[in-house]
Amino acid sequence: MRLLLVEDDAMIGEAIRAGLKREGFTVDWVHDAEAADPVLRTEPFELVLLDLGLPGSDGLKLLKVLRARGLAVPVLIITARDAVSDRVQGLDAGADDYLIKPFDLDELAARIRALLRRKAGRPAPTIEYLGVVLDPATHRVTRAGTEIALSPREFALLQLLLERPGVILSRAQIEERLYGWGEEVESNAVEVHIHGLRRKLGAQFILTVRGVGYRVRPAP
Amino acid sequence: MSSLRARLLGWLLAGVVFIGAAGGWIVYRNALSEADAFFDYHLRQTALILRDQPVEYLLAPQLAPADAAYDFVVQVWSLDGVRVYLSRPHAVLPQVTTLGFATVATSEGRWRVFGVQALTKVIQVAQPMSVRQQRAAQLALQTLKPFALLLPVLALLIWLAVGHALEPLQRLTALVMARRVDALDSLPDTRLPDEVQPLVSALNDLLARLRAALERERAFMADAAHELRTPLTALHLQMGMLARASGDLERAAAMETLSAGVQRAIRLVEQMLALARQEPRAEAQRVAVRLDDVAREIVAELVPLADAGRIDLGVSAAQPASVYADPDALRTLLRNLVDNAVRYTPAGGRVDVSVEELAGETRGARLTVSDDGPGIPAAERARVFDRFYRRAGTSPPGSGLGLSIVSTIAEGHGARITLADGSSGKGLSVTVTFPPGTPLPA
Repeated sequence: MRLLLVEDDAMIGEAIRAGLKREGFTVDWVHDAEAADPVLRTEPFELVLLDLGLPGSDGLKLLKVLRARGLAVPVLIITARDAVSDRVQGLDAGADDYLIKPFDLDELAARIRALLRRKAGRPAPTIEYLGVVLDPATHRVTRAGTEIALSPREFALLQLLLERPGVILSRAQIEERLYGWGEEVESNAVEVHIHGLRRKLGAQFILTVRGVGYRVRPAP
Repeated sequence: MSSLRARLLGWLLAGVVFIGAAGGWIVYRNALSEADAFFDYHLRQTALILRDQPVEYLLAPQLAPADAAYDFVVQVWSLDGVRVYLSRPHAVLPQVTTLGFATVATSEGRWRVFGVQALTKVIQVAQPMSVRQQRAAQLALQTLKPFALLLPVLALLIWLAVGHALEPLQRLTALVMARRVDALDSLPDTRLPDEVQPLVSALNDLLARLRAALERERAFMADAAHELRTPLTALHLQMGMLARASGDLERAAAMETLSAGVQRAIRLVEQMLALARQEPRAEAQRVAVRLDDVAREIVAELVPLADAGRIDLGVSAAQPASVYADPDALRTLLRNLVDNAVRYTPAGGRVDVSVEELAGETRGARLTVSDDGPGIPAAERARVFDRFYRRAGTSPPGSGLGLSIVSTIAEGHGARITLADGSSGKGLSVTVTFPPGTPLPA
């Protein structure tokens, strides 16, 4: 899950990035609105964490520009502005949630998961497909009650495939959604993780569409 | 007696009584002199009438009753000095016989006498002076009596009039007393007597200044609370990371970032305190301070910081120059300027501090801190003095208070700050010009 963090404070940004990484998110981080805009045009982020008090152009302005452009990505505002009017303004400008500093990392992660769940149109906090249950909050995958141990990348890849079961994802799309900036991607990294998942979930759980990409086996 | 009303009443009544007494005295004196003239005339008339009467008449005296009331005493003396007639016995009588008017002292007070010579007798009519005095006193008292009776009415009138005149003050008092602590809007100053107007004006002036001070304080509090959130959020998140850290290496790294976060929060609070201390306050202790000495002192203090960032920090010129200043505030000003320059100049850069004495006898001084760092674009120079203003993309992030503190101190000392490009056309040069100001003790 790749998230874009727009935050000018180095310490807060660093802590959010490290903390969310532990939660299995890949966080790319820009320091101001001017840098966020072009990145959001070109790269597929699942969610944006937006600070409002940015140097230069304000976060709220960026949000309005994005929404005006029709960008549907969920936006979670994280800010020190706690007045009711600020919250109303933020939500009305197109934010999906509003979190006031200081906040807890756990709460931030939970709200991110909730937003992603809503985005995917899933009512339940867990994803269930063909007997495989994936819990984004605890990072556990079980089948028929038995836990299946996955690496963080394997987990993220599985979640990606299970979010929209019928959709075929190309290798490039998977790489884009899994890896953040500055992360070294081995040329066969996706194949390696697919191989790992097949080994743990059964060879037929993930199908290869030759020349196109991967998808999970359709439900019978 | 601190009540204006009672005091006014006391003074006014005392004045009225004094005037009354003086008036009474004057009436008495006038009445006395009138009585003198009247009775003298009477004495003389009585004597002259008796002189022209036959002697036999004298032996059977027919004095008018009025004369008795006036306490006239008639004596007739033979030429050889024997009293042949006395109209009324009196304990003490003037014995002397003189012709014409005389005032004679006896053991029972003074008498007024008039003597006239008939053919073979000397006729003397006498009257005690006390009769005249009593009459005059009676007259004076009669004049004063209605006045004395009216005195309480006058007191009541004064009391009411003063009370009425003081009513605006009472209204003002009630108004001020009914105020809430934070109600600092001006008092109404219409319909006020001229004597109360300046007081209300002065009060309103004070209220306005209080309001401004409170407003500043509130703004500062709001800013401070907001600004404290950032480092506290960082701390909170860093704590969370520490709690989740597994393994010694990760824990050590988390500890390190946490400690950096604490350092930052401490610095912010310190800067806030420094600013709060410099906020407009009563004339701090101003003494003659050698600006060049302070510059050397602060540069020496910050050399370790400069070394850590591989910055060449030094004093490029230091003329002996004294300014009239609060030494602690001056140190804070210099420390902030040099600290800023050192922090924002990249490694290998150079920071120069210089002190010049301004020409003439003015004893003004100019302090310059210049660096060859990234500088501040001219368009942004006015804003950097705002509280908590941080420039976009600066690293490391500061408290946003340093230049605010500097400008507050400079303002307090009447000094002027100008920002310009650094000496080499690159970087920033901050100049603080201290005015000639108060002459220094030699």
